[in-house]
Amino acid sequence: MGIPATAIVLAEFYEQEKEKALQVGMPGVRTQWIKGPVWAKTREQLRRDVIEGNNPISGRPVMQEIFEKFTMPLTTEEKRTGEIKRDRGPETYTGTPEELQKLFLEKRFTDFLPIVLPTPERVNDMLRGTSHDPDEIVGKMSPTNTGDYFEYWTFTVRDVAVNAVMAGCKPEYLPILLAIASADPRTGNSKEAISISDNGFVGALVINGNIRDEIGLNYEVGAVGPYAHANTTIGRAWSLMAINLGNCGKVGTTYMGVIGNPMNLINIVIAENEEKSPFKPFSVRKGFEKGENVVSLFEGWGILSAANWAVNRWGTEMDYPQIMKDIAAQQGFLFGSCFVLSPPIANFVKARFGTIEELEEWLAPPPPQMPGFAKPKPATEGDAPAAKQPAPKMPAFGGFSNTSIIVTGGSNNNYWSAGGLRYSRSIRIDDWR
Amino acid sequence: MNRHISAAIIAVLCLGFFCSFTSLNDQAQAAPAEEKITVLTPLGTPPSIKLKNMAPRLDNLKGKTIYIVDNGYPSSDLLLTEMAAWFEREMPETKALYKRKGGFGFESEDPALWAEIKEKADAVIIGLGH
Repeated sequence: MGIPATAIVLAEFYEQEKEKALQVGMPGVRTQWIKGPVWAKTREQLRRDVIEGNNPISGRPVMQEIFEKFTMPLTTEEKRTGEIKRDRGPETYTGTPEELQKLFLEKRFTDFLPIVLPTPERVNDMLRGTSHDPDEIVGKMSPTNTGDYFEYWTFTVRDVAVNAVMAGCKPEYLPILLAIASADPRTGNSKEAISISDNGFVGALVINGNIRDEIGLNYEVGAVGPYAHANTTIGRAWSLMAINLGNCGKVGTTYMGVIGNPMNLINIVIAENEEKSPFKPFSVRKGFEKGENVVSLFEGWGILSAANWAVNRWGTEMDYPQIMKDIAAQQGFLFGSCFVLSPPIANFVKARFGTIEELEEWLAPPPPQMPGFAKPKPATEGDAPAAKQPAPKMPAFGGFSNTSIIVTGGSNNNYWSAGGLRYSRSIRIDDWR
Repeated sequence: MNRHISAAIIAVLCLGFFCSFTSLNDQAQAAPAEEKITVLTPLGTPPSIKLKNMAPRLDNLKGKTIYIVDNGYPSSDLLLTEMAAWFEREMPETKALYKRKGGFGFESEDPALWAEIKEKADAVIIGLGH
């Protein structure tokens, strides 16, 4: 527009925003750093801490700096134009195995655990898992696939295979990883396992079809845990792909999860227990044939045992559908509800609802309630005139209507899990064989 | 006689010890140092960066109009209306207008507001980047 501008950003995001500014071609952009948090503070606290406060980085008054950002002439560096060519550095690294393990750790190519070193021989062996050209572009990934907030890195079939080797995968797992990493035809972007968001999201996969047995995915006791080679290494590979193919998970720049999420290590990998589920498989409900190999992607807060909710009233007569409904009513607006039912719980539900669709309709939660979220606070009499200007209301994300129900696990007790995971899309795995 | 036998035994033992030592030494020398291997980079490829022009700066803010744009982050309305109030109080010759960006989310666009800013604004403050 040709109009000077400054963005107000919390100082904790300094490193991230400097990298972001470089990526969008304006490394000298004049950002105003302030003391956070802003959310949940009162007007008086914000006036004291920010408006009349100092930039926590420079120690200088915020409003004085804003004035200078608009009036100080541009420096030579800020006037620089042209193009910065970049590459990914060396194509290979040479050293002893011990040296390479150390180097990969130092370069943050790993998840901090030892990896299988991706020698050309191992990578070529992994590539036996697909008929696709090793140089074929699979997709592009960034630390958030929402819009163009962070730059996208492109990657090939071979790049996916390298990360699959590092995670300890077998060649027969590779088509699943390629499907996961493939570009969403709606956006052209791939789905990262590790989001940049300060919320601390986790990625989740649901795998349906005969491939579950072909590669030994566990969908019995311990199904969602690290208790089978395929479940564990496929989940790990998704995170390594995010780290190396999408530049995700770098604390301070491409990872800002306030608390973090331990599930980012191997994600949530769910092979559905189609054999013991009384309902149609998840993939069939998404339009695929039964037996067809499909992986479905999700993102959200994660899941935990439904027993943790107070509404899970323990007793001799358990009304599981009602408990699900009560839990659904408690879920936040970002990701809706996700229920991972063990076969016994699914059978209890089946006794009352013939199909998942009927259950979902019955579970439909109440209209969104977002008290305080970007809702304009009424100005008081003491406020300055500008503070009385009204701000429009903010619409909802629409996550309330997103409910996913998956059946997996053992039948040794009536336990099940629930949480917030938003469905993204389903991909045919055999397209990547 | 006994002395000759003892000397012979000592000589044999010494020879055996020497042979054992050289054998061990040879084995140690034969064991290669940990072999170097080559591995492939696990990284994807970042795009090139095209540097953009920054807007020219203003001489001063007197008589200028600053748009203060709220992108809807929680409590940013409180912060930015307070900022507008600060300009009214501390820099009355500068006009500060608080505007709430339409749409939802940080990425959403508001073409009408951008057009208004292009026509009427001399400078823009936008928040909140968390």
